[in-house]
Amino acid sequence: MWRYIAKRLLQILITLIIFQTLLFVILDAQPGDITLQYLTNPKLTPEIREQMQVALGLNKPPLERYIQWLKNFSTGNLGISFTHYPRPVIELITERAPRTIVLFLTSTMVSFLVGFYLGKQLAWRRGSGFEYAMTLIGVILFTIFTPWFGLMLIYLFGLQLGWLPVGKFLDPILWREAPVNANYVFTRLGITGFILIISIVIVWWATGKLSTRTRRIARLTAIVLPVGAALLFWFNTNIGVFALDMLEHMILPVLVATLVSYAGTMLMMRNTMLETLKEDYVMAARAKGLTESEVRDKHAARNAFLPVFTNLIISIPFVLSGGIITETIFSWPGMGLTLLEAVQNEDIPLAMGALTFVGVLALFAHLVADIAYAFLDPRIRYQ
Amino acid sequence: MYTKKSLFITILLILLAFSLFACQGETQPDAAEPADAVSEPVAEPQEDEAADVAVEPEVAVVEEADEGLEIYRVAILSDMTSSNIWNLWGPGASAYNYVVQSAYWPALFTLSDKRFDFIPDVAADFGTPLEQEGDFWTTVIELKPGYLWSDGSEVTANDLIFTSEVVMDFDLSGNWDYGGGELVRIEALDEYTVKFYYTEKPGLAVHQYGVLQNPIVNQAFWEPLVADAYTALESLEGLEPESEEYIAAMVEAQQTLYGIEANAEPIAGPFMFDKWEVGAFIENAANESHSYQDVIVEEYANGAYREYLEGFVDFAAYGDAEGDVELAFVNGPHAGSVIYSVYNQDAAVMALLSDEVDYIYNPNGYGPGLRAQLDGNENVAVQENPRNGFRFMAFNFRTPPLDDIAVRQAITCMIDKEFLTANILQGAAFPVYTPVPEGQAFWYNSEVTRICYGLSEQERMEWAITRLKDAGYTWDVEPTWNEARGGSIDWGEGLMMPSGEYVPELLLLAPSPGYDPLRATSGVLIEQWAGMLGFPVRAQLTNFNNILTETLGGGLNFDMAVVGWSLTMFPDHMCDFFLEEYGGPFAFMAYESEDLSTLCAAFTASTDLLEAQQLSYQMQEVLATELPYTYLFANPVQDAFSVSSIEFPYVSVLDGIEGFYGLPDLVHAPE
Repeated sequence: MWRYIAKRLLQILITLIIFQTLLFVILDAQPGDITLQYLTNPKLTPEIREQMQVALGLNKPPLERYIQWLKNFSTGNLGISFTHYPRPVIELITERAPRTIVLFLTSTMVSFLVGFYLGKQLAWRRGSGFEYAMTLIGVILFTIFTPWFGLMLIYLFGLQLGWLPVGKFLDPILWREAPVNANYVFTRLGITGFILIISIVIVWWATGKLSTRTRRIARLTAIVLPVGAALLFWFNTNIGVFALDMLEHMILPVLVATLVSYAGTMLMMRNTMLETLKEDYVMAARAKGLTESEVRDKHAARNAFLPVFTNLIISIPFVLSGGIITETIFSWPGMGLTLLEAVQNEDIPLAMGALTFVGVLALFAHLVADIAYAFLDPRIRYQ
Repeated sequence: MYTKKSLFITILLILLAFSLFACQGETQPDAAEPADAVSEPVAEPQEDEAADVAVEPEVAVVEEADEGLEIYRVAILSDMTSSNIWNLWGPGASAYNYVVQSAYWPALFTLSDKRFDFIPDVAADFGTPLEQEGDFWTTVIELKPGYLWSDGSEVTANDLIFTSEVVMDFDLSGNWDYGGGELVRIEALDEYTVKFYYTEKPGLAVHQYGVLQNPIVNQAFWEPLVADAYTALESLEGLEPESEEYIAAMVEAQQTLYGIEANAEPIAGPFMFDKWEVGAFIENAANESHSYQDVIVEEYANGAYREYLEGFVDFAAYGDAEGDVELAFVNGPHAGSVIYSVYNQDAAVMALLSDEVDYIYNPNGYGPGLRAQLDGNENVAVQENPRNGFRFMAFNFRTPPLDDIAVRQAITCMIDKEFLTANILQGAAFPVYTPVPEGQAFWYNSEVTRICYGLSEQERMEWAITRLKDAGYTWDVEPTWNEARGGSIDWGEGLMMPSGEYVPELLLLAPSPGYDPLRATSGVLIEQWAGMLGFPVRAQLTNFNNILTETLGGGLNFDMAVVGWSLTMFPDHMCDFFLEEYGGPFAFMAYESEDLSTLCAAFTASTDLLEAQQLSYQMQEVLATELPYTYLFANPVQDAFSVSSIEFPYVSVLDGIEGFYGLPDLVHAPE
């Protein structure tokens, strides 16, 4: 196992260097540089532009800049943002990442749960009207033009019905008196969510062998108790109202991100489960006289879960890059918007930093997925 | 048994985790709280004083509407990126940084509302005329006593000297003018008097529209903060100023200066920084010790300007302050605070429609769909104003025959700007004929030559053919007017220059439709119009950075380029953009004109506004006939705002409300 991990780490390192090289070449190949933006200001003479190029290191040849970038990266220095000069890139990433993590981790989890449940049901009820209807709706939403869909939902719920805010992640009028900044609340919301998920997963696992009735009670308690404790915590702080405001602002973006993506998981789950339903062990389970729900949930769905789970693990790091479209539509200042602005403004260090961060996490997630396989599927052993 | 135990332990752990988490949550947050950091102003508000001096003007002055507008809510399309003034006037200069912060700092002089008259701010009056004293040109300017910072202290000559010295010591550039070549030093004669020393007699652009309008910072606040940056400057000692080491060391020192966090900086404008929630909103709170609060401003039809407030200021200029008052208002702030919320454009429009914001600061304009939504709401108004800028097609004089005035005039004649703007661009822009926008009324020459203005398509073609023939051009097939085809031009073919050579293919660069549909459409149409005369023009719609690289960047792989400029209020761009000796790479066309050179020399040296105005008229005439550019159109500024929640003292102005960053100091609740 350890040998396998070491081998995979080496592969990851090589992949990372290749990734960095490609990233640098692609971003550097864009015509011009950021100082072009100052070309149109007559007060910025060519001498001043030259000074700026020295300041930003743009006067050096690409190879030298690339080597410098790799050196800095190895020491954890992602450079200084051109557009937010002279703020370090790492500072900008840590500032924006929590907003993206909370939004997209929520939508990824919701989308996964909805997709997993519906996929299971579709495979089980193959050929029914339910399957056709859900597949059709799923495919429509999966292929819908996201900006249009997002704007329509904003128009409907924000403008026409006035139920939800039309954008941003908070209400400035409320937040002008806030005793803390938004990242403070985002971080704590993230921690709350994390504790809730972990506690529910543990209880789910721990109660697996209980009798059906006890299990149901225990699992219900496992949801009600932590959620109740979380609510108690938030209402006992002076920032509960701000968290509530953020959650209200999250409804539409999460809804859009979920609706446009759940079908991916749903269709994958449906297909893999259709395969597992043909397996002998499913027939054996039925022959043993198990109930339909036990056959579906414990034997078919659990085995069909593996590729879907891998897909989830691999997709989690990409929540850091955010959904550029979703963040743009909802004026959500996370990593997606930051990345978009960085690329548009040729802020190469910021773009490189943001993409590198996502890349490293993606590679790490692959490793986690590989290792997790061994735990999820007892048939797999690493040499 | 085993599972029950696990269940019990798990639930216990969960409860424990939440208990710990809850306890941790009750501790004081570690987040910085900018609101607390801003010092409370010491000076008393001046509302009562204003009431004493309120004279009934001929145009109704805004009454005390302060009660109705607690918060002025502005939508902006991008967040600010820096709050360090040294950076803001240098590499950090951006529209969104300025919209929030540019009014924080005072300057000796400023420009008046709506008419852009050059008027004193911190200065008490215009100062003495420039005089030669030995090797220097000098002028003395008095400062107003009682002009306050938000911490209650006075703005003095020492603040100005300190600001100018930091700019000079750190070699700051960009929008900083104190470090310009001609200004050598500023001296404080006493607390309220400063003396400027120039090596050469400075023109209006350098002095009045440059140095005198640069910001002033609070010395007491900044002096200890810049100490570290000054330490970094010490490494410059002994280095050659042109050497790479010197530049690198200077850049490092500048970086230290730009990186200073200016928390609780005293300011003097109508609003001061209160809170910044990065990516979401910025709040500016009213500065209750703002010296200009309640000052009454009057602009007269005869051109006169007056501002007065008993005990603080009574200034009049540009004629006798009598007769019809065109504009009168009481200076604010009339709102308790301004909140700038960050939205994308679509969401900003919906926020305005749903009464979440009062005004959208949107330099990008509105497409037809968004415009229709705004026009369809009775609580929202969209005000159009001329933009202080223009779009044009530049000719590369290095490529024959574009160096020939006949060719430039013939192509310009074929471009029907009225048709282009009204029919093709659907009224999204209006035609221009000179490099000075009509809205810059003082400088604009309304009598300037307009080649082929008002002619029909057939007349244009005939004028252009005659012009080219007179200059010695011939065709294999001459363009003709074809009545049989419903009245259209049969394209000319084989256009030959006077030398007998065929006109080569001409590359016309224009931005892609995604970047600017107006310029892209114009590029395609100009290709057609020039083609009718037989010019083999090939329009290439490309990335805007490519155009910059080929034009201003010095690549020069272009023959014609459709681009645009935004302008400042002083029209020295007529020299900078056309003559290399003034603008360097900005005059990328290789155009040379003795007439313009002579006029520019006189214009830049002129210290008299009326003389400069006449020179501006003449320069426009030269540029409108020699046509280094074909001036195409200007797209209007569109300001969308709520009529149910706010009111401005004026809305018709060059560059619109947007040009005044949303007029936060004058906006008030509707009466």
